[in-house]
Amino acid sequence: MIRDLRMRRLTPALALLLAVGLSACNSFAPNTIFGAHSEFGHSVDVLTRRLLYMGIVVFILVETLLVIILVRYREREGNREAKQFHGNSTLEIGWTLIPAVILAFIAVPTIKTIFKTQAKAIPNALQVEVIGHQWWWEFRYPQYGVITANELYLPVGRTANFALTTKDVLHSFWVPQLNGKRDLISNHTNYIWFTPDSAYAWNGFCAEYCGTSHANMHFKVFTVAPSEFEAWVAHQKTNAVGSALPAPAIAQADTGKAGHSPAAAAPAPTPVLNVSDTVSATFPRAKLPEWLIPKTPTPASLTFDQSVTGDATRGATIFKTAPCIACHTVRGVPTAAGIIGPNLTHVGSRTTIAGGLYPNDLRHLQLWIKNAPEMKPGSLMPLFGKNEKGATPGLYTDQQIADIAAYLSSLK
Amino acid sequence: MATTVTLPATPYREPSHRYESGVWSWLATTDHKRVGQLYLYTSLFWFLVGGIEAGIIRAQLYGPNEHLVSASTYNELFTMHGTTMIFLVIMPLSAAFFNFLIPLQIGARDVAFPRLNAFSYWVFLFGGLFLNFSWFLHAAPNAGWFGYAPLTTRPYSPGLNIDFWVIGLQILGVSSLAAGFNFITTIINMRAPGMHFMRMPIFSWMAFVTQFLIVLAFPIITVALTFLMLDRFFGTNFYEIQAGADPLLWQHLFWLFGHPEVYILILPAFGLVSEVLPVFSRKPLFGYPVMVYSGILIAFLGFGVWAHHMFAVGMGPIADSFFSITTMLIAIPTGVKIFNWLGTMWGGSLRFTTAMKFAIALVALFTIGGISGVMHSSPPSDLQQTDSYFIVAHFHYVLFGGSMMGLFAGLYFFYPKITGRLMNEKVGSWHFWFTVIGMNLTFFPMHFLGLDGMPRRISTYDAGQGWESNNHLASYGAALIIIGTVFFVYNWFTSMRKGAVAGNDPWGGATLEWTIPSPPPDYNFAKLPLVTSRYPLWDRKSPQMTSEVPHGAQNEQKIDVKIAGKETGTAPAPADTRLNAPNAHPSAKELGIMMPTPTIRPLLAALFLGCVFIGLIAHKNLAIMFIAAALFVVSLYSWLLTPLEPEHH
Repeated sequence: MIRDLRMRRLTPALALLLAVGLSACNSFAPNTIFGAHSEFGHSVDVLTRRLLYMGIVVFILVETLLVIILVRYREREGNREAKQFHGNSTLEIGWTLIPAVILAFIAVPTIKTIFKTQAKAIPNALQVEVIGHQWWWEFRYPQYGVITANELYLPVGRTANFALTTKDVLHSFWVPQLNGKRDLISNHTNYIWFTPDSAYAWNGFCAEYCGTSHANMHFKVFTVAPSEFEAWVAHQKTNAVGSALPAPAIAQADTGKAGHSPAAAAPAPTPVLNVSDTVSATFPRAKLPEWLIPKTPTPASLTFDQSVTGDATRGATIFKTAPCIACHTVRGVPTAAGIIGPNLTHVGSRTTIAGGLYPNDLRHLQLWIKNAPEMKPGSLMPLFGKNEKGATPGLYTDQQIADIAAYLSSLK
Repeated sequence: MATTVTLPATPYREPSHRYESGVWSWLATTDHKRVGQLYLYTSLFWFLVGGIEAGIIRAQLYGPNEHLVSASTYNELFTMHGTTMIFLVIMPLSAAFFNFLIPLQIGARDVAFPRLNAFSYWVFLFGGLFLNFSWFLHAAPNAGWFGYAPLTTRPYSPGLNIDFWVIGLQILGVSSLAAGFNFITTIINMRAPGMHFMRMPIFSWMAFVTQFLIVLAFPIITVALTFLMLDRFFGTNFYEIQAGADPLLWQHLFWLFGHPEVYILILPAFGLVSEVLPVFSRKPLFGYPVMVYSGILIAFLGFGVWAHHMFAVGMGPIADSFFSITTMLIAIPTGVKIFNWLGTMWGGSLRFTTAMKFAIALVALFTIGGISGVMHSSPPSDLQQTDSYFIVAHFHYVLFGGSMMGLFAGLYFFYPKITGRLMNEKVGSWHFWFTVIGMNLTFFPMHFLGLDGMPRRISTYDAGQGWESNNHLASYGAALIIIGTVFFVYNWFTSMRKGAVAGNDPWGGATLEWTIPSPPPDYNFAKLPLVTSRYPLWDRKSPQMTSEVPHGAQNEQKIDVKIAGKETGTAPAPADTRLNAPNAHPSAKELGIMMPTPTIRPLLAALFLGCVFIGLIAHKNLAIMFIAAALFVVSLYSWLLTPLEPEHH
C-alpha cells in the first residue's frame, strides 16, 4: 500500500512518535494528579479526565484528517491541477459552531466545580495554617496550639481547611495526590480545603518558583486514622523530650484553644534525658513508601569525622546557648524561642529534614548542621562546621556537631 | 491675512561616500530589507544561545539529582532561556519578516519611517547585548521570564541579576514600540494603488494585527517594569511586601501584557503559514476573510484572558469563571484557522518543499498545544496542571511547534527572495525531520511528567518519583533538535554561495513580492503596481486558478504588475556571480526614484539611549545618565532636522 518513497520514510517517524506516546505512559507515578484521594481531588479528576478524553478525540480527528490530506492530495501524476475553491460558508459556520458547543460541555461542569471547591469550608473543619518560608514549610494547628514544620498530619474523613500565607516570597502548596495547588501570596491569606479519604503518605511540593532552592522545598503529608491523629496532636503539644520544664498532662483532644493543666509530678531539679522512642503516633517508619524517602546525595566535598559518637546530654548543654536558639524554637527549652527557622520541638520524630530534602537520620543531621548552605543552596541557615568556608565563620568541631545532632535526634 | 511661519529649509546634503558599501553601509542603512536581514541574523544568533541554554538544562535534568550546574546557575539558565527565546528570537525573527516583507507585499518602496526602523533594530541589538552581558558578571537574571514580585524586589534579589532583567526588557520594549508605530503607518498609508485591505496578503494582515497588539500591550509591561525599577533604584514601595504591597499588582500588570504577548508571538507565524500553504497546494487560502477576522478577533479577545495565568492565586470563583469562559472562547477563532488551513490543502496538489513541511508541522503541532491550552482553561483542572511540566509541554508546543515552525517555513520560503538563491532541499529535509522528531521527543513526554506531578522550574528532581524515563526521552529529543539546527545553519550559509539561482519567482507565488528580482533592488518596484486582485501574480500566470477570487472592476486591466518587473532589467536573473552586483539592475537614480539616504544617526541615538541605561545599572551614576540623555536628545534633533530624501525636482 505504501509504495511511495516519501511515505516509506514517513513510517519510521510515525512509529517513533507512537513509541514515544506509548512508552511514556508510566505506571509508576507516586505523585500522579489522578490520585484523587480527597473529594477535591475527585471533582478535579472528573473534569481533567473529561478534558483529556475530549482532547484526545480532537487530536485523533484533526491529525487523521491532516494525514489523509497529505497522502491523498500530494502532487503526483494526475493531480497537478488543484481544485480551485477558496471557501465554503456551510463548513466554516459548522466548524465554528461545533467547537463552541463542545466548549459548552466543558464550561458548565467547570463553573460548577469552581463554585463547589471554592465554597466556604464547613464550620467544624480542622484548621491548618500553612506559612511558606524560603525554603521550608511551617504548619500550625491553631485549634490545638501545635506548631511544626515540613510534615503535615491529617485525619482521614475530616475536612481540613488550610489558611495559606507566606513570610517572604510567593510559594504554592501542592500535594498532587490530594489537592490542586493554591499559591501563597505575600500580604494575602488564601484558603483551600479538602477531605482526605484514605490513609497513607504523600509527597508535597512548592509549585511557585521562589528562589535558589525552590526545587528543594518539599513537605510530607500523612493521612491517618482519626484516633492516630489525636494521638499525634497530643504528642505534639508536649514539650520537648528531656526539657527542664514539665511536660503538660496529655489532655483529651479539644477543639478549642489549646490549654494544658499543670503537670501532676513535681519538676526534676536537673533535666533527665529520655532518649528512647516514646512516640506512639508518628507514621511508622517501616510502612514509609520508598518514594517518600529522599535520595538526595550529600555534597561530595562535605565530609564528617566518622569516628566520633555524639552524646545527647552534652548536645543539650551546647544547644541551650548555641546560635541555634536565635532561629529555632524547642518548646521546653526556655532559651530556644527563635521563630525564623522551623520549630524543632519534635524534630526527632520527623521522616525528613531540611525542608523534605534529606532523610532524618544522624548522618544527614550532622552534615546539615555542619554546612547547611552547601547541603541546600541558598539556605539562610549559617554553617557551623569549624573548618567550613562560608559567609560566616564556623563554630563547632565535628564532635560538638555530633553531640547536637544526637540531642536533636532525641527530640522525638 | 494669514500669518505663517516659514522655517528655513534644511539643506540636503549628500551622505558620506563611506556609507555606500561595506560595514558602514550596514551601520547606516535605512533600507528595510537590510534592517530585516540585521534582525534575522541577530535573532538566529540568539536562537543558538537560547538553544545552548536549553541544552544545558536538558543535560542537567537527564537524570535525578544531577549537579552539572549549581542551582543558582540553573535558575539563571531557565530564566535566560525563556527571556532569550521570547524577546530575542521569536519577536525579532518576526520583525525580520515584518521589515523585509511588508513593503514588498503591499507594493511599497520602503517603510513609512525608515530611520525609526533602523533605530528599532539598533535598540534591539543593544538590549540583547545588555541583557546577556550579565552572564559575564555571573549575574544573569534568575527569577523566571515573568519575574514575579516580591522575589524580584531588592530584599529578595539584592544583586544585579534583576537590574539587568528589568532594564534589558525596558530597552527591548522601546524597540518593539518604535517598530509598531512604523508598521501600522506603513500598512495604512503605503499600500499600492488598488490594494484595499481585503486584497492585502494574509501575512501583512497578521503583521498589522500584531503591531496593534504590540502598541497596546507593551506600555503595560513598561508600567509594570517602571514600578519595579522605581522600587529597586529609588526606594518606592509598589511591590515591597514589608510596606504592605500586593504582589498581585505585578501579576495582573504583567499578564495583561503577557497574554497579548503570546499572540504577538504566534500571529506572524500564522501569517507565514497562510502564505506558504496556498503556494504549495496550488490553490488560494481557504476562507481568506475569516482568516483575517479570526486574527482580529484573537487579538481583541487576547486582552480579555490574562488572568488564566493566575488561576492558582485565589482570585475567587467569579473571576475564575469569567476568565475560564473567555479563554475557552478564544479557542474558537484559533481552531477555525486550523480548519481553514486543512481546507486550503484539501483538493490541492501538494508539493512537499521544506517550507511546506514546516508549515504543515505548525498545523499538526500547534493543534496539540491548542488542545492542552483548552485543558488549562478549566480552573479546577488547571490547579493540577499549572506550574507543572504539563504547562511546560503546552507552551513549547505552541511556541516551538507553533511559532518556530512557522518562522522556519518563512525562512525557507523567503530565503530565495532575500539572497537570490535556493536553500538545499535535501539538507532542509534533514533539518526538518531532526527538528520535528526531536521536538516531539522532547516535549510530548513532558505532558506525562506534569500529570505525574513534576513541578516546573526545579533545578533537579529526586530519584524514585517515576520521572526518570520521561526526562531521559526529553533530553534525547533535545540532542536531536541540536543536530537539526546544525543542518540548518550549514544549509543557510553554504546555500548563499552555492545554492541554485532562484530568479524572481522560484515557487510559483501569488503576491507582489514574487514579481520583482531576487534579491530585490533597493527601490523594490521600478514602477508601483496597480493591484486589482488578491493574487496578482496568479492572475497573470494562471488566470484559471483565481477565476473565483473577486477582482477589480477593470477586468481588462487585470494586472499591471508586469510593468514592475519589466523596468527592473530586460534580462532574466543575472549570472550568479553578479547576483548582488551594483549594476544587476538599473539604479534608483537612473529610474528617477528618491530613496531614503543612509545615515548613522539612528545608531547613534540608540547608542546614547543605551548609555542612559548603563548609567542606571552602574550604581545609578547620575552623571552618566544625564550626559547620555543629553547626547540622546541632541542626536534626535540632528536626526529629525535631516531630510530623509533628496529634494524632489
